[in-house]
Amino acid sequence: MSYRWNMTQVNVLPDMPDAPADFLAGQAALPMQGADRLTLLDDPQEWAAFSLPEQDSSGCWSSSVVFEGMHCAACAITLEDALRAVPGVASVQISSASHRARVVWSPEQTRPSEWMQSVERFGYKAIPANDAHAHERRRQEARRMVWRLSVAAMCMMQVMMYATPAYLSQPGEISAESMHLLRWASWVLSLPVVFFSCAPFFASAWRDLRERQVSMDLPVALGMVVTFVVSSLGTFEPNGPFGAEVYFDSLTMFVFFLLLGRWLELRLRDRTAGALEAVLNRLPDSVRKRQPNGTWALISIRRLAVGDVIEVLPGEAFAGDGRVLSGQTQVDEALLTGESLPLTRQAGDRVIAGSHNLSGTLEVQIEQVGASTRYAQIVALMENASVSKPAMALLVDRWAKPFLVAVLLASLGSAIYWWPTDPARALMVAVAVLIVTCPCALSLATPAAMLATAGALARSGVLVRRLEALQNLASIDTVIFDKTGTLTRDALQVVRTHTRSGVRPEQALAWASSLARHSLHPVSRALWSEARQQAEAVGELPALEALLAQKVSEQAGQGVCGLLCSNGGAAVSLRLGSAAFCQAPVFNGHHLQVSLADDSGWLATFELAEEVRSEAAGVVQALKEMGLTLKILSGDGQAAVTQVAQSVGIADAQGGCNPQDKLQALKVWQAQGHKVAMVGDGLNDGPVLAGADVSFALGQALPLAQSKADFVLMGGQLGVLVSTVLRSRHTLRVVKQNLVWAAFYNAACVPLALMGLLPAWAAGLGMALSSLLVVLNALRLAQGLSPVPALQSNTSQTSPT
Amino acid sequence: MDILYLLIPLSVALVFFILAGLWWAIHRGQFEDIEAEGERILRND
Repeated sequence: MSYRWNMTQVNVLPDMPDAPADFLAGQAALPMQGADRLTLLDDPQEWAAFSLPEQDSSGCWSSSVVFEGMHCAACAITLEDALRAVPGVASVQISSASHRARVVWSPEQTRPSEWMQSVERFGYKAIPANDAHAHERRRQEARRMVWRLSVAAMCMMQVMMYATPAYLSQPGEISAESMHLLRWASWVLSLPVVFFSCAPFFASAWRDLRERQVSMDLPVALGMVVTFVVSSLGTFEPNGPFGAEVYFDSLTMFVFFLLLGRWLELRLRDRTAGALEAVLNRLPDSVRKRQPNGTWALISIRRLAVGDVIEVLPGEAFAGDGRVLSGQTQVDEALLTGESLPLTRQAGDRVIAGSHNLSGTLEVQIEQVGASTRYAQIVALMENASVSKPAMALLVDRWAKPFLVAVLLASLGSAIYWWPTDPARALMVAVAVLIVTCPCALSLATPAAMLATAGALARSGVLVRRLEALQNLASIDTVIFDKTGTLTRDALQVVRTHTRSGVRPEQALAWASSLARHSLHPVSRALWSEARQQAEAVGELPALEALLAQKVSEQAGQGVCGLLCSNGGAAVSLRLGSAAFCQAPVFNGHHLQVSLADDSGWLATFELAEEVRSEAAGVVQALKEMGLTLKILSGDGQAAVTQVAQSVGIADAQGGCNPQDKLQALKVWQAQGHKVAMVGDGLNDGPVLAGADVSFALGQALPLAQSKADFVLMGGQLGVLVSTVLRSRHTLRVVKQNLVWAAFYNAACVPLALMGLLPAWAAGLGMALSSLLVVLNALRLAQGLSPVPALQSNTSQTSPT
Repeated sequence: MDILYLLIPLSVALVFFILAGLWWAIHRGQFEDIEAEGERILRND
């Protein structure tokens, strides 16, 4: 599967006229063209560009799309209903803050064009995400938005000037003719505001009316129309029932603030999506591949296959994961791992798709392409997270609709109540109620803050799998570390080998490595790489690689077993793992021990030394200062665990646990009322990670798609753990501030408006400011993570070379 | 105060004139990459 590999072939999106009409045109204007561009997407190769096959063998695909024309939680509900109504669509998840959705559908029953058309009937547009055009559309949208805002701003300022005399003068001070002239001028300048700047509100309100839906734009648009009509009547019939006052100043100011809020929201969304899009757009369109005759030919990245050799020039991104054949360079992997320093890569080193080649020309042999690259896994993870809905946001969504209906009824009631006293006043009170109650702030409060945080974390190399986890992380009081690969570095060194008499150490290592190469456990990887190094030194690498074990199975926390068929001989059953698993003698010493056994018993024991991460002690110190309880649960022997625990400063360390023991211990702590975060390498502790309230996975070799952790620390550095916890606490504070503010604002203003004490301009100002405040408050979280002072000196030493 | 009959329509016209200038600036993309102009001095070429 590919991300944006086929953009050159599919010119999917017709150009749109840059006029306000395109908001209204949506469904009618482009039926043929629209259907054509959508049917193009029905080719499996084309839909693969924005879809992934589902993990559970149901044959379904999960596609990610961006919607144009949606504004709020109520729009998301409309879209969800529309998509669910299509037969064959299994599930839909929409994020109203990022306007992205994930649609799971079955190719046996439907095609992408079908469900995309169902959305277009409602006047929205679904754009396949990862489309190169998405960025261009976003730019166009931003430009139109700024233009609408500028028109509203200029006209508002001038209308204010014309309104000032009416506020300042005594009755009778200005002649009726002059007053008429001022009103006329205000009316002329309100026209572009109402008919151009407000067009999106009217379009979306009209769409909702036709579909018998209620969204936040409906009361707002109704308020604008009523104000404009009342004021226009006042302008042209100064002696009529509405002639006492005009409200052009309120109208233009309200529109300006509303657009300003929308514009800031758009920018917040773009900044968060920007982190995503920066990742999305990393892959080049075409690569230079070596032909059999030794020349280089330019091919589409889509035709790139495993085993191809490509040439990568300075400044280009790598198209797939691969190994450097020749050349030396510096690469920038910042977006994928959070590592901000350029890294040196030379022949034999691995490079990852989406990272940038900075300085030299390289020849790279491709080992992974498409969905199996680490890059594709990161992108898929980020997309899933940005559409997951935190519980608080779900609650708000559920209440939005009945609330809006209540608002419409309340404003109708107030208009009827005040009508006998003064019709003009009655209408303006109704307008004030409509405008002041808009629950925009409430529906933005949670997702805006969490998305901003997720974006900031992603830039520092921390992937958030579920937004919900941010909320949980803020309330934890206990952190449990795994040891191997977490507090210690992944890389282990074989320091000593004990063998049964008659067995050569090299022979034992070669046998062990035949099993170890099938496992991702750090110990296995250490054995395999040690064996490779030894074999390479004596030129027997092919012999080692030919040594293949069969029927290999891994027992979590204990070891690996399998059958080794040596040349001509009978198959030997081998076990590699803990001393108990292999019935091996235990040797004294605090090094990590791993044993090898065959049918006749113990063969060899390898002692491996591990290096404690240099930043670990600083992280432990910082976490303690934040009031967290720290513990270690490890599968290794108690002696090795205690030694590591002492060197980093954790008192409570428990060794010799298998995954069930760890889960058991975790459950006990949780039953005592503790909120527990688990930090592991994400490979051997899946059930424990899933059982914890919040889980972190560490380690760069981790296959991301299989990881169950809520947070993935991509750089493999512990330091960001501290800033992530701090940021999550900050996020929860901001969410609470936002919710309290929005609820307080609505509670205070609605009664005032109903009693007629709140003029229309104040209602508009209040409503727009409340949304602005929520978005600006959330924007504070979009800043990059600040390094924790205690760790700075350490992290600079640990940068890989 | 007859002059108002000239000045007020003139001010309306002026607003439209300024808006035309803004339209030109926005649609040439002048507000899209605000940092770029400031950073230009740091570039080598």
